Amino acid sequence: MFGYVTPYKSELKIKDYNTFRAYYCGLCKTLGSQYNHMVRMGLNYDLSFLSLLLSSIEDKQDEVKVENCIAHPIAKRMIIGENRSLKYTSSISVMLVYFKLIDDWKDDKSVKALVGNIPFKMSIEKARKENPQIFDFIKEKLEEISVLEREKCNQVDEVASAFGQLMEKIAAPDFIEDEETKRILNFLGYNLGRWIYILDAFDDIKSDSKTGNYNPLILEYGYSKGDDIDAFIKKVKESIELPLTFTLENVSKSFELLKIVYNREIIENIIYLGMRSKMEQVFNRGGQKDEQSI
Amino acid sequence: MNNPYDVLGVRQGASQDEIKAAYKTLVKKYHPDQYANNPLSDLAQEKIKEINAAYDQLSKNKGSSYSGQSQSSQSQQTYRGSQNQQSQNQQSQQQQQRNQTTTEYADIRSTIEQNNINLADQMLDRIMNRNAEWNYLKGITSLKKGWYDQAFRYITVATSLEPYNMEYRNTLQGLQSRTNSYNQQGNFRGYNAGGSFCSICNGLLCADCCCECMGGDFIRCC
Repeated sequence: MFGYVTPYKSELKIKDYNTFRAYYCGLCKTLGSQYNHMVRMGLNYDLSFLSLLLSSIEDKQDEVKVENCIAHPIAKRMIIGENRSLKYTSSISVMLVYFKLIDDWKDDKSVKALVGNIPFKMSIEKARKENPQIFDFIKEKLEEISVLEREKCNQVDEVASAFGQLMEKIAAPDFIEDEETKRILNFLGYNLGRWIYILDAFDDIKSDSKTGNYNPLILEYGYSKGDDIDAFIKKVKESIELPLTFTLENVSKSFELLKIVYNREIIENIIYLGMRSKMEQVFNRGGQKDEQSI
Repeated sequence: MNNPYDVLGVRQGASQDEIKAAYKTLVKKYHPDQYANNPLSDLAQEKIKEINAAYDQLSKNKGSSYSGQSQSSQSQQTYRGSQNQQSQNQQSQQQQQRNQTTTEYADIRSTIEQNNINLADQMLDRIMNRNAEWNYLKGITSLKKGWYDQAFRYITVATSLEPYNMEYRNTLQGLQSRTNSYNQQGNFRGYNAGGSFCSICNGLLCADCCCECMGGDFIRCC
């Protein structure tokens, strides 16, 4: 979960931008109240997009509060009051922190560290109790990905598909009862996960080519030390650009079938503009990660 | 049933022209071609039915709505139709042998239609003579599995091996046109590739610096 799912600010109304931020802050607050402040490091844009999406298909409109927060103690901010989508995504955030997906991913794109982590023990027990099936599923999928990494899988489609399946499950929580909505969210989640995985792998080509860390794109397109890295990156880009845009198209096609009650414009902005612009940004900077975020 | 105005996304009492325009946009959006090989295609068809019903209710020319059903069965036909086309193209020399593979491929096609993708994949992997049809079907199974990189690759190979096969070409063009329509949706909403707002600002600031050097001031405050 890497923070690629963000709005395209220059075409977003201020009020919509504030609403987007209110969901982000809402997820942060929920993490603090449901778990503890330390798990707030699991906060990220991708999951806050999910909480926004899940909240927007509910019949009941969310409550907006104006409160202080830890990161910004003086200025008051709009914050979405706790709802079941926020509670759900906060438990997923805790699980992902627990599996150290976030940290290890940043280090070496590996999900090896499945060991217990004491400060989070209480939190993770709670999160696990709330969504036991999802917990087991995440664990299983991450192990699957970890095996693919160990075996140096050289098909990006295969690894990205495993990650897509992880998101496929996460995107459709049990409290969604309508079967059709579940199917739509599953397909949306799969494509979202596939897109995030591949974009991140592309973003890491340059650094992984130096460190020798696992990167399916490097293996699939056959980079060996001493080759011209920029030419290599260009080659990869030409090959994956169309299928990756197609992946976004699938996200948009799923979204168009959802019965969106609130926040349609923000979600449209993220899907049609924000994610596309993020992808082009990553493609244009040519596989060299830029830590700056929006 | 939902309010037909809501379904078409127009206000109560909208004019016939507005209704027609909204209807056309929606039909285009949920058209079966836009959902080909998409696991949600049945939901898109439901949506089309709902849109048609709403349009028929609001439109003065009743019965003028577009029929999603027949269109989609037509596309099904073209999907199967190519088998006939293929058998016409066969050369007499190796007809015997080819017929055998054609039935094999026909089996695989029906396995795909039953949505048993893993089995179809296994059947394909057993075939050694990997012609255009093989690549095409491998592309379709990849597409259904969500392995889009390979899907594009196999279908591209199929079209280059048999450039005159309309089925292969239509599938590839369908995929390409869907990525285009995604981009168009973004452009329509104001997406601006490359020349972003920032670069315009930078340009102005730069111009301002130049002006100041020359003794003028283009932007007063800085």
